[in-house]
Order: sequence, then C-alpha cells, then structure tokens
Amino acid sequence: MDLFFAGLETLLQWQNFLIIPVGLALGIVVGAIPGLTSDLGIILCIPLTYGMDPTMAILMLLAIYCGGTYGGSITAILINTPGTSANAATLFDGYPMAKKGEAYKALSMALFASTIGGLISAGSLLFLAPQIAKITLLFGPAEYLALAIFGLSVIASVSNKSIFKGLIGACIGIFISTIGMDNISGTTRFVFGKINLMSGINLIIALIGLFAISEIMMKSQYNPRTDRKIVDASSITKSKITREEYKRCRKPIGIGSLTGVIIGATPGTGGGLAAFIAYNQVKTTSKHPETFGEGEIEGVAASESANNGACGSTMIPMLTLGVPGDGATAILMGAFMIHGMVPGPMLFREQGNILYAIMLGLFVVNIFMYLIGSVFTRFYAHITRIPYELLACIVLTFCIAGAYSTSNSLYDVYIIIVVGILAYFLRRMDFQLVPILLGIVLGPLAEMNFRRALILSDGSLSIFVTRPISLGFLLIALGSVLLFAWRNSRAKKKALA
Amino acid sequence: MKLKYNSEIMSGSVFLVAAVVLWLLIPSQIDTMETSAINAQTVPKIVIGGMGIFSFCLLLQGIFTAPKKEVVITRTTLSSEHFQKELKSIIYAAIFLAYLVALTWVGFLISTMLLTIAILVFYGARRWYYYAIPLAMVGVVYFIFKMLLRVSLP
Repeated sequence: MDLFFAGLETLLQWQNFLIIPVGLALGIVVGAIPGLTSDLGIILCIPLTYGMDPTMAILMLLAIYCGGTYGGSITAILINTPGTSANAATLFDGYPMAKKGEAYKALSMALFASTIGGLISAGSLLFLAPQIAKITLLFGPAEYLALAIFGLSVIASVSNKSIFKGLIGACIGIFISTIGMDNISGTTRFVFGKINLMSGINLIIALIGLFAISEIMMKSQYNPRTDRKIVDASSITKSKITREEYKRCRKPIGIGSLTGVIIGATPGTGGGLAAFIAYNQVKTTSKHPETFGEGEIEGVAASESANNGACGSTMIPMLTLGVPGDGATAILMGAFMIHGMVPGPMLFREQGNILYAIMLGLFVVNIFMYLIGSVFTRFYAHITRIPYELLACIVLTFCIAGAYSTSNSLYDVYIIIVVGILAYFLRRMDFQLVPILLGIVLGPLAEMNFRRALILSDGSLSIFVTRPISLGFLLIALGSVLLFAWRNSRAKKKALA
Repeated sequence: MKLKYNSEIMSGSVFLVAAVVLWLLIPSQIDTMETSAINAQTVPKIVIGGMGIFSFCLLLQGIFTAPKKEVVITRTTLSSEHFQKELKSIIYAAIFLAYLVALTWVGFLISTMLLTIAILVFYGARRWYYYAIPLAMVGVVYFIFKMLLRVSLP
C-alpha cells in the first residue's frame, strides 16, 4: 500500500498532466495515418524522452500507444482502412455505419468503447497483473495454436455468402504470411529470387493494399455528376448514440474489454487478435447476428473495447515476467531499459513507486483520451463530406507515403498497388477480404506454434487435445462455428418458409 | 457467341489453376535442408492443398447449384454501357501501374502530383481548387514526412 501511495505522489506532478495530452495527440495522428502505427510513433518519440524523468517518459510513450490504438479506428470507420492492425475488426461495422451517414455515431462509440476498454485494462494491470501472468505462463505452443484457430473461427461468421470463398480467402492470407524467410529453419519461401521479399510482406503494407487501394479501385466506376450525395453539415452530428444504444452496447463492451484483457495478457498476441475474437463472440451470442457487417454499433463497441482493453494488459507479461505482449510493448520495454528500469519480477521490488505511478497513469491517459477524442470527433466526422475524387487523391498520398515509410523501400509501394488491384478483382468476384486478413494476421502465430508443438510431441497431433487449455480453446472455436452454422441454417429455413 | 457463367465458376477455376501452379513451385521455391516430416514446406503444402480442394468444391458448386448469368457476345458488346464501365476499371488500374513506373523514375513528389492530376481528370473534375487542394496536400505530406518524421521520401 505504501508503494501505491508513493506511486500516486509521483504521478501527481503537473508535468505529467502536460505530457499525457501531447502523447495522446501524437498517437491519435500517427494511428489515423494508414501505414504509420503506434509502434512507429513510440520509436520516433523515444529520443524526445531522453531528458525526461522515467515516469514522465513512459507515460508519454504509453499515451502514444493508447492514442494510436484509438486513432486507427478513425480511418477504419471513415475510409475503410484501419490505421493500425489492431483496428482491422472495426472495419466490419464502422465503415458500413459511415456509409449510412452514421460516421459521428460510429466514431463516438469507438471512443467510448476504447475508453472503457482502456480503463478496465488499466484496472487489470493494477490489480490482476501477477495473477494473470501466472496463468499465461502455462501457455505452450499447443495453446497458442488453439488460440490462433479460435481467432480463425471468425471466418465462419464473415463468410455468409460462400463458405468456400471464405476458406480460399483464409488460404490466400496464410499463404501471403508464409512468403519470406522461415523463422524456424531460415529457408526462404516463394521469394522468386527477390531480396526485398526475404523479410516477407509487412502486415500493415498488406492491409493498406487490401483495404485502402482496393476501396479506391472499387470507386473506379463512380460518376461524380450522378453518384454524389450532398451531405448536409448539420446531419453529420445529428445521429448521436441513443440511451438505448448505450444500453445495448453494455454487453459487447464488457465482452470486448475482458477479451482484450485476457488476450492482451498472453504474450505474442495483441489488440488485433483480441478485437477479432471479441467481435466474433459478440456476433455469435447476439440475438441479431445478421445485422453484423452491415453497420451494427455493437460490432464497433466490441472490437474497439477489445483492442484498447489489450493496451494495459499487454504490459502485464512485460512488467511481471519481462516478456513483451506485442510489438509496441517490446519497444516500450526498450524504453524502460533506456530509463534504467529492467522489466521483470525485480522491478516491483526495486522501483515499485515508479511502476505504480505508471500503472495509475494509465487511468489518466484513458480519461484524457476521452476528453481529447470527444472534442475532435465532430471534426473527423466531416471528412465524409469531402467530394470523393478529392478524398481519393488525399488518401492515396497518405497511403503511398505511409507505405514507403514502413521500411523506407519503394518495394512496399509496389506491393500495396499490386495487392490492391488483385484485392479489387477478388471483391468483384464476391470474395470477402476479412478471411484473407485473418489468414495474414494469424498465419505466422498458427504456423510457428503448430510446428513447435509437433516437434515437442514427436509429430503426434494428440498434443492439441490432451492439454486442457488448448482443448478448451478448440472446443470454444468449434462451438462458435457450429452455433453460427445452426443459426444460419435456421435463418435460411425461416426465409424459405 | 453465348456464355453461361457465375462468379463461383470463374473464381473456382482461377484458384484451382493457381493452386496447381503453386503446388508445383513448392520444391523449387522452398528448398529446405530439414530432414523431419514437419518442415518449412508443411504449412505452405497444407494451405495450397486446401486452396485447391476448396476451389474445386467452389467450381462444382458453380456448375451444379449456383444460378448462372448468360452473356451473348456480339459486335455491339464492345460499345455496351456495361463494357464501358469495365473498361473504366481497367484504365484506373493502368493509371496506378503507370504511377509505379513514374515513381521509380521521377520520385514521390512529381509522380504523386501527376497521379493526382490523372485521377482528377479521370473523374472529370473541372474546378481549379479540386486540383489545388490535393496537389498542395502532396506537398504538405512530403514536408511532414521529410522534416517532421525524418522519412526521406524517394
């Protein structure tokens, strides 16, 4: 308790309350530019923190991390391109809501859900860190594979029109994820002699191509004279979230936040996976799953609460075990070390007051995020009023610059254009892009742990069903697929009757 | 000429061929030294094999169960509204591909400005500020990335 109060005293310095909004503003901007992630934002700002005291420095970087995770939802909702991979699941319902003229409502819900998810995550970091760390320590390759399969089970619920097209899409996604150097054997795969392909296709590059470029291509038949809808400025902010909608979103936000906390606390996962799993669970257990994907506010609430719900809990394995939960926390771990703190069990004993100041500061970060977000959301929503031909040029410019900046390579620009054109033709053939995205995101996690598990079990597949946590995840995945199939067939029968 | 097709037949055929080609490329593209049964080729084989099986199922679904569109190709097909719309998509894709060539030769600033102009001409934009805003935006982005983010665009 002494450490708690010492931490509170460290936090309550005026400089911290100045630096948090600065970090948040930077994070939101970086997150909202497709191609720039919160990881990049943190890396760029680490040199700025050299002269700061450790609490202030880490709080600024944490604010960039949380702001970036929320900021990615802005572009996901407005231009159908997630700013970061953690916001990919927000596309499903966020963009359809914007197309229906409910951009402001979707942005407001994304902010509200992100804040609640973030606050619950901050609470979990403060109170549950050691306990959750003990559970995730039990995870082996079999559990990770089961977790990836659990995430891939979303394909069943997003392939309403054709399950075969969904499965082909997932195969394409996993295939893309195998391109480059194999992490286990060091063998190159499908690089066709190109050195630039050896490091594989970067996730965010694939996302920009799949969603942003293909979306711009989809509008190639758009005619500004006949297809333009004049949107009245006052109508943009007219559709506010109703009390009934807040009530309806309580359960999705609850499920999303808890999923975010649990998945985030599992090393090697992150907010993207948490958002997919939460979205799928909310859709499967919903009384009206057919409205998901067509602009359902509960979908935005689930995915956004989950990805921000993971923000605090990804720090749990990092702070307690010294194992980073995702890319951003790996960078944060470096920042801790730069400021003389070595993450791990000893950190609580040696620099407990700073640690508690940071954990308490996460609450402040989320509250500030809500305040800053609520002021600017109405401005973001007006983006939908910009004539499409102008928006296409601006979005393309950001996408190209963002793609190039990922690894300072023209190759990434070639990839986004080629992937975008191919994705356009897939969309014209009624393929959903989400299974491809799931394959790209979960493919590496699934492959690495599949191979590790089989090496451990001498090639026996029984390892996946003899370990209780792995079996549990597999059963839940199977259950959610079967439940969805049953509901789908019942809906079809009803429609025929 | 009369054609009967649906998206299942088209995509099933395309991905079946793609799966066969990729399967045949596995030995040359994944030259692994591993001797164990589970190696760098395992997951690509599962995925490409899966793609082949699902494509075949999709093709069968397209042939036997899904409703088909009937298209009669005549001399007037090329001047039809539908064909003209499809042609627009191809021209749009060609603009993007031409941009990649320009990007390699003249760099980000000039090529992206040319791309912006090409897109606005494609959509038939006539007002001067429709050109001025995105062109200025290209400059602003170039400045932000170069000066603030320290990313030197090509």
